Amino acid sequence: MPNFEWNDLNISVDEDGFMDQPEDWNEQIALALASTESVDVLTDNHWKVVNYLREYYKEFGIAPMIRKLCKQTGFSLKEIYDMFPSGPAKGACKVAGLPKPTGCV
Amino acid sequence: MSRSSLSKQPKKVTDISVPSEQLAHVDPQDMFPLPPPYDKVKEQPGFKALSAETRKTVAASLDDTVCVGLPQPKSKEEEERLITAFLSGLRKLFTRENNWTFLEPLVLSMEHCARCQTCVDDCPVYEASGKNEIYRPTYRSEILRRLYFKYIKPGNSLFNKFQNGDIELNWTLLSRLLELSYRCTLCRRCAQSCPIGVDNGLITREIRKLFSSEMGITEKNLHEKGTIQQLRVGSSTGMNSLAVKDNVEFIDEDMTERTGIPIESKWDVEGAEVLLLHNAGEFIAWPDNPGCFALLLDAAGITWTMSSEIAGYDGVNYGLFYDDVQLARIAAKHFEIAKKLKVKKIVMGECGHESKALGVISDRVFQGIPRETAMSLIADIVFSGKIKFDPSRNNFPVTLHDPCNLVRAMGVVEPQRRVLRYLAPKFREMHPHGVRNYCCGGGSGFAIMSQYNFMDWRLQISGRKKFKQILDAFADEDPSAETKKYVCAPCSNCKGQIRDLFDYYGAKQKSGLHYGGLVELVVNAMVDVKEGFLNFEEM
Repeated sequence: MPNFEWNDLNISVDEDGFMDQPEDWNEQIALALASTESVDVLTDNHWKVVNYLREYYKEFGIAPMIRKLCKQTGFSLKEIYDMFPSGPAKGACKVAGLPKPTGCV
Repeated sequence: MSRSSLSKQPKKVTDISVPSEQLAHVDPQDMFPLPPPYDKVKEQPGFKALSAETRKTVAASLDDTVCVGLPQPKSKEEEERLITAFLSGLRKLFTRENNWTFLEPLVLSMEHCARCQTCVDDCPVYEASGKNEIYRPTYRSEILRRLYFKYIKPGNSLFNKFQNGDIELNWTLLSRLLELSYRCTLCRRCAQSCPIGVDNGLITREIRKLFSSEMGITEKNLHEKGTIQQLRVGSSTGMNSLAVKDNVEFIDEDMTERTGIPIESKWDVEGAEVLLLHNAGEFIAWPDNPGCFALLLDAAGITWTMSSEIAGYDGVNYGLFYDDVQLARIAAKHFEIAKKLKVKKIVMGECGHESKALGVISDRVFQGIPRETAMSLIADIVFSGKIKFDPSRNNFPVTLHDPCNLVRAMGVVEPQRRVLRYLAPKFREMHPHGVRNYCCGGGSGFAIMSQYNFMDWRLQISGRKKFKQILDAFADEDPSAETKKYVCAPCSNCKGQIRDLFDYYGAKQKSGLHYGGLVELVVNAMVDVKEGFLNFEEM
């Protein structure tokens, strides 16, 4: 498994750059992962998305559906793409430390 | 610079066994040009190079990418063990007791290829790569064929070597052949064009099976996170039954609000006419699709249900792409669930490989339970006269992508077109289409793979032909994003690939390209549904 280094952090990620150990996630790691997604600054809006993903993941063990994410955070899909250029699944979920979504999604 | 000087390719089939850093390389200049505004190579996303770390740790000497990522063996002994296991698997592939499912077409494909190469021009991967030798559909087959004549059916060995050609089985061949079996989307366009029906797609799939069943070497998205997770948790998406019910509840509410028609999805209803089996990816990524099915079936007065049992709410069967045992395990689950619920039939949602797995490949498992694709059910409902439509609500350019498994594997070609000709006034075909269609480039599960730099490969090479076809289909329209265009792709896997293609090339912003399923267009045209159901901003 590749390791990804950022400042003092050393994070174990899979071949897609998603965390291997989602339970180790913290806000510093979110910043580190954001840097791999061409996201330089995490604004309050970013955090709103990230925190919602974390909460949902804790409850159900997977990422929420995209429309639910939009509805619950109040952001349109376009706004989510503006924040996370590779989109909700590949971008936002990665920053939130979720494992890579699986199946035909 | 001429094209051929940019690419690097083997000169002979036997080069597969000759160690080198990389057997083949495709330069972006080798690939056929895309129509404007995607015609300038420099402006397109680059092809990421594999890291030195990847090249060192996993088998990566085939081409510019890695899919399976088999760890490099640590010793000569380990290499030998793998080769021995490969040979054992090869023998099993050609015995009836170990491969009763596909032995016959496989042997026929081994023994009767006339090397006429009629099929090669039908391969979208070979064409997109600038005809790189390793992607020629017969290149891969020829490797297995030589191994077959050398180890399985040697006969008079001197004559054999002369007639069928020799090949050296070593670690280099083995590791490259594994990767090469994941450079074909199993679209089987080549099999269709073969004058005698030699099936290179089957050969590719059987190579994957050999690695999986005998050696435990698999692609992780199909196996670990795919069939294994599906049988353990309930779905390849990782959704357990609580999660899927929570999602469906949300979909029902959302659909009710947007359409003005109350929707309540059904779970575990015994004796229903239809067991609706979606690809579970729909619930997460394209929730309008199952939502529209719920609405449409209710409107048609059909009693239907979904199942909340393990694998009962996920119609995918990735075993189809790589392993008979996993295929059978999931098919048996689907059968048991349908039988227990005493449904009249199973309807497969808009998913190509699911339709093939349940409808064709597992036919013997489903004794007594009819299966139907969503395509014919939707057409029957649309033309039943029970529902009033206003086709002008779909007054935007629409084209149809044919999922290979629906058209070429099953012959389900016409129902979806009848619906579109009626409900989409600006419908136009791609060329070619129907059984002669081109794969989206995400076939055989590629759409769910993006490890290492495989995404670049599947979007630049295997998906190239489809992207060009889509652009060409709208060539008579205003090319700008002002005119919203809809690619109807009635298959979850194809939708994933088409979404990635559009994201990758910025096609939504540049050309107004959108995509979705068939049933969404049907519901969008229903008079009883609030106008403006389809919202291009949200797609």
